[in-house]
Amino acid sequence: MPEFLEAAIIGVGLGAQYALLALGFTLIFGILGVVNFAHGGFYMLGGYVAYSCVSGLGLPYPLAVLVAVLATAALGWVFELLMIERLIDDHLATLMLTLALYLIISTGVLTVFGPISMEFTFPVGGAFRAGPIYVPRENLIVLAVCLAAIAALYLVLFRTDLGRALRALADDRAVGMALGLRPRLLFPAAFALATGLAGLTGALVTPILSLAPGVGDPVLATSFLTVILGGLGSLGGAALAAFIVGIVEAYTSVYFGGSAGALVLFVMVLLLLVFRPTGLLGRDVRGA
Amino acid sequence: MHGRPAGLIRRLGGAEIAAVAIFIVAFAIPISTKSVLVYSVLNQVLVGVVATFSVWIMLRMNLLSFATPAFMAIGGYTVAIAGRYDITDAFLLTAGAFIMPALVAVPLGALVLRLRGTYFVLVTFVLSQIMQLVLFETPGLTGGSNGIAGIPPGTLLGTELASNQQVLLFACGLALLATLITALLTRYFRQHFAAIEENEILAESLGLVVWRYKALGFVVSAGVAGLAGYSLVNMLLTAHPSSFDSITAVDFIAYTIVGGRASILGPVVGSSLLIYATNLFGTHGQYAQGLYGVLIMVVILAARGGIVGTIGTLLRRRP
Repeated sequence: MPEFLEAAIIGVGLGAQYALLALGFTLIFGILGVVNFAHGGFYMLGGYVAYSCVSGLGLPYPLAVLVAVLATAALGWVFELLMIERLIDDHLATLMLTLALYLIISTGVLTVFGPISMEFTFPVGGAFRAGPIYVPRENLIVLAVCLAAIAALYLVLFRTDLGRALRALADDRAVGMALGLRPRLLFPAAFALATGLAGLTGALVTPILSLAPGVGDPVLATSFLTVILGGLGSLGGAALAAFIVGIVEAYTSVYFGGSAGALVLFVMVLLLLVFRPTGLLGRDVRGA
Repeated sequence: MHGRPAGLIRRLGGAEIAAVAIFIVAFAIPISTKSVLVYSVLNQVLVGVVATFSVWIMLRMNLLSFATPAFMAIGGYTVAIAGRYDITDAFLLTAGAFIMPALVAVPLGALVLRLRGTYFVLVTFVLSQIMQLVLFETPGLTGGSNGIAGIPPGTLLGTELASNQQVLLFACGLALLATLITALLTRYFRQHFAAIEENEILAESLGLVVWRYKALGFVVSAGVAGLAGYSLVNMLLTAHPSSFDSITAVDFIAYTIVGGRASILGPVVGSSLLIYATNLFGTHGQYAQGLYGVLIMVVILAARGGIVGTIGTLLRRRP
């Protein structure tokens, strides 16, 4: 029984991380119609920026996380404004651009930090115990921050004018623009918001997992799985699917071990595509 | 202009004839030199070109596929597993390496070709990841993380393909075969593929049975990838999961886009140049990915036709 509860807590923790990544990914797709292949790259970059701030500049960890968020958001803003913006309606071209950015980020990280993994540890150790249940304290902190970020994102998207404008553009860009919404301001903002979330996740999670060139690949794959499961462009779907993915991964790794979890998820996604190609909460989206 | 040769070239396609000619001439390289460096680069180019054809065929229909490494793995492992049963006849293995992935592509195609654009990209990416897992999780069949080593060299008409030169000549043969298949498919169905690329819904409403051509393209693309897998396994005499890493799909896509996606010469030029450039990095091959990234950006932002397309435009602009 404690095993069962621990797996549940780990699963929810993973789900919260995946939700932050998948929400950003689906935000970019929903609003700009761009598949962001660099999403894993921003996650990795967030980790490396936080690591550099802590070990190079001696900043306290929370401040380093903040710097990582700002840096990845800034890169996302500039990249969208200078590159994506020019070819915004060409799906294949924007996809190739983000893929190219991912290759450049990976090579950049490899050049600066080398191929070995960094010694980047979470500043809080120890574990939380409640009777027989035993959960590392770092996981609980990450879970709390992720949930707070999801809540903040919800407030921004559903309770502010910025959020309403972004959702309006996602819904129908032509009408939104006719009503005076300015894509040249809002598109970079949406991109920066999403990449900042990826950077936040990277800065929070890489100290617990690992920080090395290539940590972005599995993140990208998980983001894909999550958004396919949830339905491309659907925010609620992405959040729901992220927790499903996290919980499935946690339980299969506790009870079956190895890569069984990944296989279960792949089979789920393939079955879903047969019976409901638009995903759990998706609707027909442009270009998909 | 209406002479017979001109008419024939127009029907067969100048680019297609040039591509086939390039791979006929390629046979001369292993015969005329024994340089280890040339052998190594040429071998990689021959594998890369064939794999890139597989991506290019799908791109003719505006579908960006990341599934090439998965089908390469099926082709390569078919050959490796056949080697365990002492099947070494090169014709038989070539047929197997083409047919097995093509067969697997039939049910997979029925599943993934319902998807368009973005979903297709994401799902083929996931497919390549599944293939890696399947390779690791089936040690009885595929050797798991050890792969299958010590594959017996193939035999062609009773001769064992033992020397590097023979292996390379055989790789040239496989590349020529793949070029012929790709050229025939894309030339014969040129207008069908172009209609799907241009506007799939319009094509369908005008009576084109779109799924038929997409399925055909997907199956042939899988078979061609299988040939690339065979070529790779034949070169290494080992089938290993790392040879078919899903991230290698990015390389083949880069070769196609940088070379130019409009003509069959694009994959040929793109993979030759980029693989050659990668070898200039020497032992720092991992940095080549950054170069690919920069080149893709340049092509997408500044030279949409890729190398071949841009050269073509420049030539046409001249009076």
